[in-house]
Amino acid sequence: MRLIQGHGRYASDWNMAGQLFAAVLRSPHAAARIVRIDTAAALNAPGVRAVLTHADAEQAGFKSIVGGVALKDRNGQPMKKPHYPVLAKDQVAYVGQAVAFVVAESATAAQDATELIEVEYEEQPAVVEFADAVAPGAPRVHQDIEGNVAYVHEHGDAAAVEAAFARAHRTTRLKVDSQRLVCNPMEPRACLAAFDAATGRYTLHAPSQGLIGARTHIEQITGLPAKDVDLIVEDVGGSFGIRGTPYPEYFMAMLAARTLGKPVKWVGSRSDTFLSDYHGRALALCGEVALDETGRFLAFRWTDEINLGAYAGPFGAFIGTQNVSITSHGVYAVPAVYVRSTLAYTNTTPISAYRGAGRPDIAYAIERLVDQAAFEHGFDPLELRRRNFITPAQMPFKTATGPTYDSGDFPAVMEHALKASDWAGFPARRKESEARGRLRGIGLASYLEAAGAGTFNKDQTAARVGDDGRITIFCMAGGSGQGHETTFVGVFADELGVEQGVIEYRASDLAAADLIGNGTGGSRTAAGQGSAFKALARALIEKARPLASALLGGEADYADGRFSAGGKSVGLIDLARKMARGADGRHPLDCEAEASSPATFPNGCHVAEVEIDPDTGVTDIIRYTSIDDLGNVLQPMLVEGQVHGGVAQGWGQVFGEHAVYDRESGQFLTASFMDYAMPRADWLKGTFTRESHPVPTATNLMGAKGVGESGCSGSLPALMNALMSAVRPLGVKDLQMPVTPVVMWRTLNQTARKAA
Amino acid sequence: MTKIAFTINGKQVSSDVEGRTLLVDLIRDELKLTGTHVGCDTSQCGCCTIQLDGDMVKSCAMLAAQADGANIVTIEGLADGDKLHAVQQAFTECHGLQCGFCTPGMIMASVGILKANPNPSDEEIVKGLEGNLCRCTGYVNIIKSVKRAAELMKV
Repeated sequence: MRLIQGHGRYASDWNMAGQLFAAVLRSPHAAARIVRIDTAAALNAPGVRAVLTHADAEQAGFKSIVGGVALKDRNGQPMKKPHYPVLAKDQVAYVGQAVAFVVAESATAAQDATELIEVEYEEQPAVVEFADAVAPGAPRVHQDIEGNVAYVHEHGDAAAVEAAFARAHRTTRLKVDSQRLVCNPMEPRACLAAFDAATGRYTLHAPSQGLIGARTHIEQITGLPAKDVDLIVEDVGGSFGIRGTPYPEYFMAMLAARTLGKPVKWVGSRSDTFLSDYHGRALALCGEVALDETGRFLAFRWTDEINLGAYAGPFGAFIGTQNVSITSHGVYAVPAVYVRSTLAYTNTTPISAYRGAGRPDIAYAIERLVDQAAFEHGFDPLELRRRNFITPAQMPFKTATGPTYDSGDFPAVMEHALKASDWAGFPARRKESEARGRLRGIGLASYLEAAGAGTFNKDQTAARVGDDGRITIFCMAGGSGQGHETTFVGVFADELGVEQGVIEYRASDLAAADLIGNGTGGSRTAAGQGSAFKALARALIEKARPLASALLGGEADYADGRFSAGGKSVGLIDLARKMARGADGRHPLDCEAEASSPATFPNGCHVAEVEIDPDTGVTDIIRYTSIDDLGNVLQPMLVEGQVHGGVAQGWGQVFGEHAVYDRESGQFLTASFMDYAMPRADWLKGTFTRESHPVPTATNLMGAKGVGESGCSGSLPALMNALMSAVRPLGVKDLQMPVTPVVMWRTLNQTARKAA
Repeated sequence: MTKIAFTINGKQVSSDVEGRTLLVDLIRDELKLTGTHVGCDTSQCGCCTIQLDGDMVKSCAMLAAQADGANIVTIEGLADGDKLHAVQQAFTECHGLQCGFCTPGMIMASVGILKANPNPSDEEIVKGLEGNLCRCTGYVNIIKSVKRAAELMKV
């Protein structure tokens, strides 16, 4: 309600008395040695209070920005992670890397002063593409990492896959790019930091996906104990993975606030977002499938190229390793799978998790590969899928790569999608398009997701009861439009059988409830925190039961929000109101609970139908159908919104979005909304049909599987398969994202010229 | 510095502004009306859309000095006391927002669309929203909201 009236409080909406303002000087070079930084002129500029550089960060004891979990390859070699300083030290390794942090009495004074900082750079050759980075003799992004290779990840049984290919009747190979994207939440990053010298505590307002993870990173990087940092987050204007961990500006604002004794506010621009928010995707996946004579899959082999950017971002390495492996089977029974990913550094902005973080990419690669195999070997693409689906009878299904899929009915989900999309009626619609001179295509994708990954193996929740009987519930997940309040209050109130109006939800309030739990990410909160709130409701009932029994004079039963015994009854909220607080200030019904929820496997089948104008190369999406098994759906409207958004981010990647770097200079060429094609309202011309096909999981209390990232996993392959279906009859062999109008137009013309 | 005076959400205000101060910065930083958001620096995203003398404008694309004498309505001034504007009501009913950051601009732009055309087709709606970006909703429910608002405004 507050958000539609302009009363939200996003990071840049916070202000404090006496606050100062900060601006960041960023590197204009992709690769350069820093010879000298002279801040004297900037320091003397009117209103400037401080100009901080690496020397200040180092003096404050700041360590490297955290580069994700420790990985060791099959030979025991750890991933090579360069030191990633909060402000650049003796080198810059990408355009936009933070070099200096200016604090002044106004935002304009700070911005003006950045231009007075003299940095002497000695430019070095840059590499921005994976292939260039791993080529013999390539310039090194970091002097101590020869060949720029950070890590080689292997997963699965290489020998079994080799053997399967040796006896295969047919094979197909297809390499697909999942191009580098800028995640672009609509809220540019911002922060406000204050230091209280009397208590030694910091207050920090900054966008975040979860308190505990953010504070842990702050502690690891700044050395400040997490408990001394009050991270206060109310509204977050979109996260999508890249707001999961803190950024350099936040540490520098904290340091400046302590040094100067005043709150320090930094508000990033969209340019800051483009240059310095972690980027997404940036990988290429080369898939091979071995088939027997009947079209049964014998093996998948994946050879992946992962462009990490200049440093190891917090989730950067996770994408091309764990996340492309866990669902590398897709929805198919494949006896042998082997994944080999090479992760390389380049002179580009570091990557991190963006909506699915590798899982949409592998889903895309699998479903393109299956279509390609069907085309090359003369199978009907639906029939080839039917022949290879894991069936409900095979559940739980232990995959060759490790994970066990607990539930799902992939054949039925596909049949549902075929019906909902009127797949059978396509030839007539194609004819109708052809009569108008348009190319029409239809494409399908049966995707599988793995949701529920978290840093902690459990999520805790707490209930605090007010004197008026109202209950406030708490957890540690930070929202950014998912509708946590609606979902969690709904789960808790429904389990208790009370009106939702007596329940209030508060996220990440450690002062009220000292909990641990995962942040929002990996499509996990419905299953994770949802289960923990269900458990919390049950704990509250059990805590109240003896009190109710005493009051009613007999063993009390609970139903629909009331305890009853021997013909007498009392409502839970009334009971809560009657209870006096203990000496410690706690209400007798205050309670805590926790739940563990392992990975779930959301899946679905998306069907896209497109029409191309061959004269302009413009593609319209005529129909889009998404049938998803997300397990139990808690809030249909919110879930539908999540699917729409995920699918639209897929459209963005398919038709326009692309972070382009100049191959020579390493300059970032598409670093504004003028140059980077974001999906707009007119991208979907036709109808969007969405239906659920729930096959609930038994692995968490909610039976939910997670929704946040499924839209991307379904839409990338469905749309690209639709485009291929439209242009294959003309002899087009391949398309790679983004298929902008000019790419489509050129492809059609080149193919026609070759055929002529 | 230039002295300017204008009306915002029915209130008379005056201010000394630097020549380079953008209208959106004056609204947010000085008047503390933080419902109008800044989502970009190239006038592409529309998060800062306000109503100025009856027209919907991007307040990041105007200097504060140009607002002298103007009558401005921001998202905070759209509701009539406790009664939401039909467009606000429709966005709530149709789940036309997720993170909410683009929402004030989307709502102001939608008010403008419906003012010019109380009965817009889907095509007219998406054309009208061309200057506003949303990263969460895929626009599906935003379009639904505008249609719903058109219905609400008829009764």
